[in-house]
Amino acid sequence: MKKKISYSKKKSLCGYGFISIWLIGTIVFFIIPLVKSLLYSFSEVTVESGKTVTEWVGMDKYIKVLTEDGKYTEYLGDMLFETLWKTPLIIIFSMFIAVILNQKFRGRTLARAIFFLPVIIVTGPVYKIITNDMETSGNNDMSNFSTMMSTDLIGELLEFLGIYGISDKTVDIISTVADNIFGIVWNSGIQILIFLASLQNIPRSAREVAEIEGATSWEYFWRVTFPYISPFILVNTVFTVIDSFTSPLNTVMERISDMRNEWAFGEAAAMSWIYFVIVMAGIGVAVMILNRFVFYESE
Amino acid sequence: MADAGKITEKIWSFFRFVILVGISFIIIYPVIYMISCAFREKNDMNNPAVIWIPENFTLDVIRDTVKAMDFGNALKNTIILNVGCSLVQVFSCAVTGYGFARFNFRGKKFLFRIVIMMILVPPQVISLPLYTQFMNFGIKGLFTVNLIDNMLTMYLPALTGNGIRSGLMILIFRQFFRGLPKELEDAACIDGCGVLRTFISVIVPNSIPAFLTVFLFSFVWYWNDHYMSTVFFTNTKTVALVLKNIDNELKTFFNSATVEISTREQIVWKEAGCLVSIAPVLLMYIFLQKHFTEGIEHSGIVM
Repeated sequence: MKKKISYSKKKSLCGYGFISIWLIGTIVFFIIPLVKSLLYSFSEVTVESGKTVTEWVGMDKYIKVLTEDGKYTEYLGDMLFETLWKTPLIIIFSMFIAVILNQKFRGRTLARAIFFLPVIIVTGPVYKIITNDMETSGNNDMSNFSTMMSTDLIGELLEFLGIYGISDKTVDIISTVADNIFGIVWNSGIQILIFLASLQNIPRSAREVAEIEGATSWEYFWRVTFPYISPFILVNTVFTVIDSFTSPLNTVMERISDMRNEWAFGEAAAMSWIYFVIVMAGIGVAVMILNRFVFYESE
Repeated sequence: MADAGKITEKIWSFFRFVILVGISFIIIYPVIYMISCAFREKNDMNNPAVIWIPENFTLDVIRDTVKAMDFGNALKNTIILNVGCSLVQVFSCAVTGYGFARFNFRGKKFLFRIVIMMILVPPQVISLPLYTQFMNFGIKGLFTVNLIDNMLTMYLPALTGNGIRSGLMILIFRQFFRGLPKELEDAACIDGCGVLRTFISVIVPNSIPAFLTVFLFSFVWYWNDHYMSTVFFTNTKTVALVLKNIDNELKTFFNSATVEISTREQIVWKEAGCLVSIAPVLLMYIFLQKHFTEGIEHSGIVM
């Protein structure tokens, strides 16, 4: 007689069934390449008549790209610094916009349509071309707009506000941020969307209680909205960083592609691992810091 | 008290308007600039009187660009390769996401960690070994084929839920399916539906918004992909690849021309190239914009 399989066992078999295709694919197209890539970074890789031959050289490639490739280290420093200051700004900006777009006002649908527009363009080569073109074509409105936003205006604004004598460095930083408003706005689409989705999680009762208690909007934001969306700050931080990996403007990744085109596989692998590990370590630290401020609703 | 509240409300809505219009301008600007440049003659670039509306309206630039990019061919390739892959990927990710959402099995936690890893690891890290792997693809000693320049290099990963940003899509599907009421499956189970039948005839019809959202993102990301396709293809040209290489294409195209074209004037053709490349996505976005956000917003991607 056939043995009866228990219900839960049957269910778990079905589970394997559903993920089996993915599992095979992941082993072939993700796990093996990942391990190989790590192996390449410790090896001298040569391609002979269509076959790849690897020869273990230890840390040589890492040392080589870090000490001899000036371009790589320069780009790496630039990209890491950029990620460091841009990510918090993108998070703050997208949170702010999400809160605004969640309010009820006329033309909200149109506003949302416009704010998500970058999502469909920013990952492609179009983004790079338009940023370059706007730089070359000097006297257009955009540059007037950004000149208006940068040094002069900010210097004058600070003077107007009676803030003198702050170091040049601070002014520099403020102007860089202002000059990069374009980049920040254009890279915030998905983050705004995720924050908007998280805003839907706030129960109606919270709003009602706040109204009865007479909370101002300011208090409401910090006491209700912020705790509810704080877990998503983490999600968005991670997403922003990962997104910068595949950006067409990422110079480190371009350098890695160049190395690959020169058949320097070992170097290319070492470069990508250095970048990846540093960024992951950064994310780890960010997660630890953010976790202290995150509010998790107990279920 | 009430008056004060009303006034703050008024002031706020004014500020909100200013902020939204200002930022919308930053977003819309390049698109308008693209359209404005694509229809003007190159001389207009040096004419200080022309800012938005071209003095000499022309369609020649677009025509030239389309010819230089061999756009018809690129579009055909993109539809066969990128759009096809994005469609296939939606289904493979949905099936995987459902497996993770509704079944308990040993090692599920560990396997799901791999999904998270897939989201985190940049494609640049694995693209190289993938390339060598596709160069002699198969089982050692049994058979190997060179798949470089073959569309399978993109289709196989998409088919098995390992395409572009598929980790993210598996995650979205898992969150969405977890949010569906369990009663759906229970009812189907009582009616004697098998698990697969339940998925196809009960779950999928109830998850159209999620499918649409994921498909739109998948479509856009595949359309814009210029990284994976450069790794695997030397001959096949997709829209993103020809656009990436537009400088060289324009150079070859104008090789015979005696007139010198300055970098400033070249912008006209480059912007025209951008415009034709994103036109299909842009059109789709205009009509389906709502669905981009709906699936994510209403599924409540509670982590």
